[in-house]
Amino acid sequence: MKRRDFLKFIGIGGVGAGAGFVLGKVSKPPGAKLIPYLIPPEDIVPGVATWYASACTQCGAGCGTLVRVMEGRAKKIEGNPAHPVNRGGLCAMGQSSVQALYNPDRITKPLKRKGPRGSGDYTEITWDEALKTLAENLTELKSKGNSDKLHLLTSPLSGTLDKLVREFVSAFGSTNYSHYGLFQRKNLAFANLSAMGTASVPHYDIENTKYLLSFGADFSSTWVSPVNYSNGYGKMRQGAGERGKLVQVEPRLSLTGANADEWVPAKPGTEALLALAIANTIVEKGLAKDGGAWRGVLSRYKAKDVASICDVSVERIEAIAVEFAHTRPSLAIAGDSVSSYENGIAGAIAVNILNQVAGNIGVTVIPNGDDLGGGRRVDFSKKISTLIAAANADKVKALIVYGANPVFTTPKAAKLEDALSKVPFIASFSSFMDETTAQADLILPAHTSLEDWGDDFPDPGVGAPVASIIQPAVGPVFETKSLGDIFIELAKAVGGNAAGKITAPNFAEYLKSSWKELYSRNREMAAGTLGFEDFWNKTLQNGGWWGPPRKRTATVSARASEHLTGGPARFEGEEGQYPFYLIPYAQTAYMDGRGANLPWLQELPDPMTSVVWGTWVEINPKTAEKLGLKEGDMVNVESPFGKISAPVYLYPGIRPDTVAVPIGQGHSHYGRYAKGRGANPIEILPYNEDPRSGEAALNSTRVRITRGGSGERMVKMEGSTKELGRGIVQTVSTSEFKRMKKEGV
Amino acid sequence: MSGFFERIAGKLKSYREPGYYTKLDHKWTMVIDLDKCNGCEACVVSCYAENNLPVVGKEECEKSRAFSWLRIERYVEGEYPDVKVKFIPVMCQHCMKAPCETGCPVYATYHNQDGLNVQVYNRCVGTFTCATYCTYDVRRFNWFTYKWPKPLEAQLNPDVSVREMGVMEKCTFCIQRIRAAKDKAKDEGKDVQDGDIKPACSQSCPTGAIYFGDLQDPNSVVAKLAKSPRRYRLLEELNADPSVIYLKRVMGDGNSSHE
Amino acid sequence: MATHHTSDYQTGELKSRDLSYPSGGGISYKEVNEDVVRTMTQTGKWYYLALAGAVSGFLAFWILPWAYQIYKGQGVSGLNTPDFWGIYLTNFVFWIGISHSGTLLSAILFITKTPWRRSIYRSAEAMTFFSVATAAVFIFVHMGRPWNFYWTMPYPNQRQLWLNFQSPLMFDVFAISTYATSSMIFLYFGSIPDLAAVRDRVTGWRKQVYSALALGWRGTDSEWHWLFKAYTFFAVFIIPLAVSVHSIVSWDFALSKVPGLAKTIFAPYFVVGAIYSGSAGIVTLMVIFRKAMKIEKYITLNHFDKLGMLLLVMSLLWSYINVVEVFTGWYANTSAENETLIYRMFTTPYAYMFWLMIFTNTILPLLFIFKKCRTSILACVVVSLGINVGMWLERYLILTTSLPRKFLPYMWHDYIPSWVEISMTLGSFCFFAMLFLLFVKLWPSVSIYEVKEDIGIPMRKGGGHH
Repeated sequence: MKRRDFLKFIGIGGVGAGAGFVLGKVSKPPGAKLIPYLIPPEDIVPGVATWYASACTQCGAGCGTLVRVMEGRAKKIEGNPAHPVNRGGLCAMGQSSVQALYNPDRITKPLKRKGPRGSGDYTEITWDEALKTLAENLTELKSKGNSDKLHLLTSPLSGTLDKLVREFVSAFGSTNYSHYGLFQRKNLAFANLSAMGTASVPHYDIENTKYLLSFGADFSSTWVSPVNYSNGYGKMRQGAGERGKLVQVEPRLSLTGANADEWVPAKPGTEALLALAIANTIVEKGLAKDGGAWRGVLSRYKAKDVASICDVSVERIEAIAVEFAHTRPSLAIAGDSVSSYENGIAGAIAVNILNQVAGNIGVTVIPNGDDLGGGRRVDFSKKISTLIAAANADKVKALIVYGANPVFTTPKAAKLEDALSKVPFIASFSSFMDETTAQADLILPAHTSLEDWGDDFPDPGVGAPVASIIQPAVGPVFETKSLGDIFIELAKAVGGNAAGKITAPNFAEYLKSSWKELYSRNREMAAGTLGFEDFWNKTLQNGGWWGPPRKRTATVSARASEHLTGGPARFEGEEGQYPFYLIPYAQTAYMDGRGANLPWLQELPDPMTSVVWGTWVEINPKTAEKLGLKEGDMVNVESPFGKISAPVYLYPGIRPDTVAVPIGQGHSHYGRYAKGRGANPIEILPYNEDPRSGEAALNSTRVRITRGGSGERMVKMEGSTKELGRGIVQTVSTSEFKRMKKEGV
Repeated sequence: MSGFFERIAGKLKSYREPGYYTKLDHKWTMVIDLDKCNGCEACVVSCYAENNLPVVGKEECEKSRAFSWLRIERYVEGEYPDVKVKFIPVMCQHCMKAPCETGCPVYATYHNQDGLNVQVYNRCVGTFTCATYCTYDVRRFNWFTYKWPKPLEAQLNPDVSVREMGVMEKCTFCIQRIRAAKDKAKDEGKDVQDGDIKPACSQSCPTGAIYFGDLQDPNSVVAKLAKSPRRYRLLEELNADPSVIYLKRVMGDGNSSHE
Repeated sequence: MATHHTSDYQTGELKSRDLSYPSGGGISYKEVNEDVVRTMTQTGKWYYLALAGAVSGFLAFWILPWAYQIYKGQGVSGLNTPDFWGIYLTNFVFWIGISHSGTLLSAILFITKTPWRRSIYRSAEAMTFFSVATAAVFIFVHMGRPWNFYWTMPYPNQRQLWLNFQSPLMFDVFAISTYATSSMIFLYFGSIPDLAAVRDRVTGWRKQVYSALALGWRGTDSEWHWLFKAYTFFAVFIIPLAVSVHSIVSWDFALSKVPGLAKTIFAPYFVVGAIYSGSAGIVTLMVIFRKAMKIEKYITLNHFDKLGMLLLVMSLLWSYINVVEVFTGWYANTSAENETLIYRMFTTPYAYMFWLMIFTNTILPLLFIFKKCRTSILACVVVSLGINVGMWLERYLILTTSLPRKFLPYMWHDYIPSWVEISMTLGSFCFFAMLFLLFVKLWPSVSIYEVKEDIGIPMRKGGGHH
């Protein structure tokens, strides 16, 4: 532990445990008292910052954070250096969560719909009224025996909050509690379930990898746990050992691809075949750890057969295979471009097999064990398609949404809005007026994570048990309520089973007792503490609890091969009519669109194009020349399912037969910064998902590009991308670097 | 009377001692490992958060008036499929022979005893000279008085002043953090230790590519890294003697698997 | 002046040594007095219309946009990162340049005893002073916080703040204020006898004002003696000063490291360019002036002939230096220099400006090889206006093609001036016109006594000598 970190903890320690309890009282909105510091609150010294350890909930990675608070206001969020997930780093989106907290477009009070749905005509109501209305609706449902027609759709919650919601839903008598997100990586979880027996993303030990073969995993910006992987990446490149190599397979050069030593622009939809061909080559050449079991299955994927389909030469496939097998330890990871198809699971499994034949499982791929029992549950039966079908069949009488924005993140072809119009009652707990919340009849704004209690059990793990605590760093900025408290109060109001089951006075107590239970189950937690209170205080100080790394391994079961595919993925749209593959991708700042309401993220230049405040279409310069397009020209991107318009960005890092559009803009609601800006490529996607996992097949359509359409101009921050031999970013060759290391200069 | 002259003479002598003008209390230095940097821009947001940088909006961005004190420059070489992309974070290089410092008529920018190139907002009259002289284009100008819509202003860092219209600003190496660490060390009767100070960018960097420390301290991490054979400085041929040291990215050849 | 003519008085010889007034005895002293004073007292409605136009143009095009800019911030201009110096500094350098020939020319021609100087020098000197004033205002216009302008002056203050004397901008502050002061004094000293002449011919409030301004001039021998000494001193002083002022202005740019600005040739380049543009400015102004004030007999074609020769020489010099500037950039063959040159010479819209500049500044003045052109008012107008446009473009190009192409290509960004800047540019011409119109009305704009010296003594038909 560094001295600075230690000081931080001292600072927190001075505050003591459960600081959040008193915060609600002391950090009222400014102006509440004329002489606010006549009797100064104990933990507020003007000019001296207090740091609260917490965890980030912007994406699912679960990075540990330290929140800098001065005079009751959150100033900055930094990575918690002691936290095993992010080890001090924090991504752009995580750091922007203060702007979510203080966003000028937050919903400040409970709202009740006045005008027609979607009109945005709401009246402000009190919390009592809001809870009463919601409870009345639910009781009515129950009294009519329609308990199971209550649906709950949330972002992938984990830990105690997930437990509470589950308890509430089941006590109420419903089975329809589902998690939804555009990038849930359910295909990856499914592949791991069928191959290794755990439905989660394993821990990838990038740090100790010497040859990283990434199939479209943009782990530098958005994929699964970017800060953790980036940290590993830094150590892989310039750590204690030899410098690791990164090879990226993807049709569009992502940020991670830009950092790779080699880019393999395989044809979209053929990545799985390529992975299997590499695995086959390894087996054929006798380089596999246990080739025997896989020889049969893999023999269908000979490099010479696959090469032309993938648009990668046989020599290159073989060279990658040899290097992958020879460089120890190696690691293959399955990112979005290998698994965003209707048979996306096949790609993820192919990569598992590749890791198996190269002997990486248990070395660099460490299967996740839910040691603490709080991990995210992936339920493959809960899909957005089932919800839509149920709504269309009038089987959804009430819908509660939190954290998910399906109206924005499902294709127009899914006709989700039509389905929602058949739901008689929709409530949203969102703190922002997003597209889905705009359809709600009742809005009960929940706290943001900086105002709320909670915990997080990061998935993927880090090869060690980790439980992070989320504590309120500031008092509520607006009249919002803790999400857990909403459920607890709702349970009381609804009565019956729910009230009997959930007895805690508030969520903070519920959380503590839940941790008490965890503590009593876990010997490691108990070690070195003087009882639970001591442990709890320490946990609040540290931001959570984490144990030593676990060694785990697994063997990819041959059963997994039943999910494999014989050919490339299917695309909507006939090639003659729609000549380009479309890749909608998660952009660093906006991810699935959630970042678009934060001004810092809107103004953050896209790492690969430097475009700000808008959407763009990435087209290979050669293709653009053929189409007669210049940079900045407006084009229509048209799929069989619809059309959007955006300006062209000439991007040399994309296949000439492919175009890419970032996801995240094109909001019709979601605050002043996001609304009416850019275009949303999800709108023109087909309504395809992998039927086994329910993960959306984002890359499964072709499009055509025509000049025209209206939209905003493209603004990019770069002047020129040409270095002009000015030696700005200087490089040394790999061999030169090896020589340097050897000579110890 | 003679004592007075002796004092003056002694003072004059001290000016003549070698290194009198170049001796610094510290020489704060940043080392950026380009082989670690993956261009994720976490540092950029971190800088916005720490230093109260305003968000200017699309129209102003189009006029190249974005406030990023720290930016990631990206350079692209080659054509599909042999595309090479390189990233480099560029912030104020805190040049020891800074062109900007000679340009300012009112000493709004000068070199302090810590080897930092500092900007005094209150003194600035806005002649733009420093920004035009800057060879790294890192200076940002307050074209307007920027406003934060309520309650976003609650986030503003009280340790850093919010600048008004008409003044120039730039990366400070998070001087407020340096100050805080020095004050703390002074209170404890110690010197600032290596690792006590982490500018916001360095703190948040997911890959750990940004190092910060005192180059005068031979045991500091930066002093060790500064001896790396990969070291170079940006536009070194211009002889501005920048305090940011980059470590060259490793790339090229060795593509044994390349066709 | 006075001294070398005393011999004329003594010998009483009737010599018409000067070709400026071929008629030799066509004009009487009285006529001179009356003609000049008439420009001051009898102004028609056209004068007032012109003045009203200039004043309202100054207010509408300059003061209002400037007030808007001060209120809103420098952001209303088209300036950006890294093009922090756009039209404002272009105009600054342009007006400083215009200022250059007036006083400098007057002083050089005075010391070299060139007789054709006499009828034009007064208005040329005024032009200097007014264009320095216009240029100085542009310094404040381009400042981010103009209300703190006095921070650039070394004044004692309790905060013990001091100035950075290393800064070329600091040099500028001193150079320009010295230049403005000296040229004002030079103008004033030369005018004293004429102010006395005016004093003797006006009544009412004017009498009082001109009495004060004439400092009790009576035309005694010792007064002429001392005036001549002071005038000579300033003439000698002002020549190196003028050269240094524009050298210093060039150092604002040349002391940077910016490709396209960091050029050792800049000091002479700017001085030559300044004299060039200033002389062209004089030609343009004289044409308008003599026509409007109906004083063709004092400013004759002979003057244009001489000025034309000067322009031709300056054009050749300027062209040579321009070639050197481009050549050294090209010869350096660094990426930064090359990109700047390509941007300036071959990229729209700057290529148009560049080649137009070459046409107006290098090719067009070659017309002045021919005496026919030098003595044609039309040719003079066309060429001098062309040179002024070209010289403005030169300054514009220097700034707007260097800064957008600095060392880091990521930060390259083009500069497009906003309406505020364009408006203030127009406004500056209105301001200059306003000052000049006021000058014509309030000041003897042709040197009465020196013109008289040329006419010679015996022509005193009306006995109007004071």
